[in-house]
Amino acid sequence: MANKFSVNLTCAKDNTDRATVAFVIANAAVGSGKETLVFLSVEGVRLAQRGYADDIREEGFAPLKELMENFAKAGGTILVCSPCFKKRKLDENNLVAGAVIAGGVKLVEFLSDGSPCVSY
Amino acid sequence: MPDAAPEAEWDAGDMGCGELALELQSRLDRLRPGQVLKLTARDPGGPADIPAWCRLTGQTLVSQHHPVYLIRRKED
Repeated sequence: MANKFSVNLTCAKDNTDRATVAFVIANAAVGSGKETLVFLSVEGVRLAQRGYADDIREEGFAPLKELMENFAKAGGTILVCSPCFKKRKLDENNLVAGAVIAGGVKLVEFLSDGSPCVSY
Repeated sequence: MPDAAPEAEWDAGDMGCGELALELQSRLDRLRPGQVLKLTARDPGGPADIPAWCRLTGQTLVSQHHPVYLIRRKED
């Protein structure tokens, strides 16, 4: 059984339900002892900006900011798609905890041992 | 140990992600085994991506001082 788990997230405020559930699942993985990666791409990269997720709260779930903070505190890694980030002219000096800007190669490496990946 | 003297240099500018990986592969292919490429890559994803690319492809990352990377071509 692979000891790694990846969550691919392409949404932010364009679909707060998907964005929230992605981090719920990521927390389930990191809380189950998996080395866990959330890969933010397309609109999802906006979540890597400090303050952006502060007002996202889906009914029935913890606030997204709290979910993301808990994920980082538990040792989870958030990879932020570099070209998606640059396209949106976001600020690389204002990243949330646990976030690292990277390109697709880093994701390929993480998944190359057959680790599972779910997408939102 | 001092950094290796590069046999080739490439300034990739802001190129990153898949585009950088493809061009980097092409540039390394043009070198002989053991030769070193000095890469300048300003993409903010470089510090995570370029070491990962070297590990995946079997090239040796001689040094990393973003945005400058020295990469030694692997043996055939």
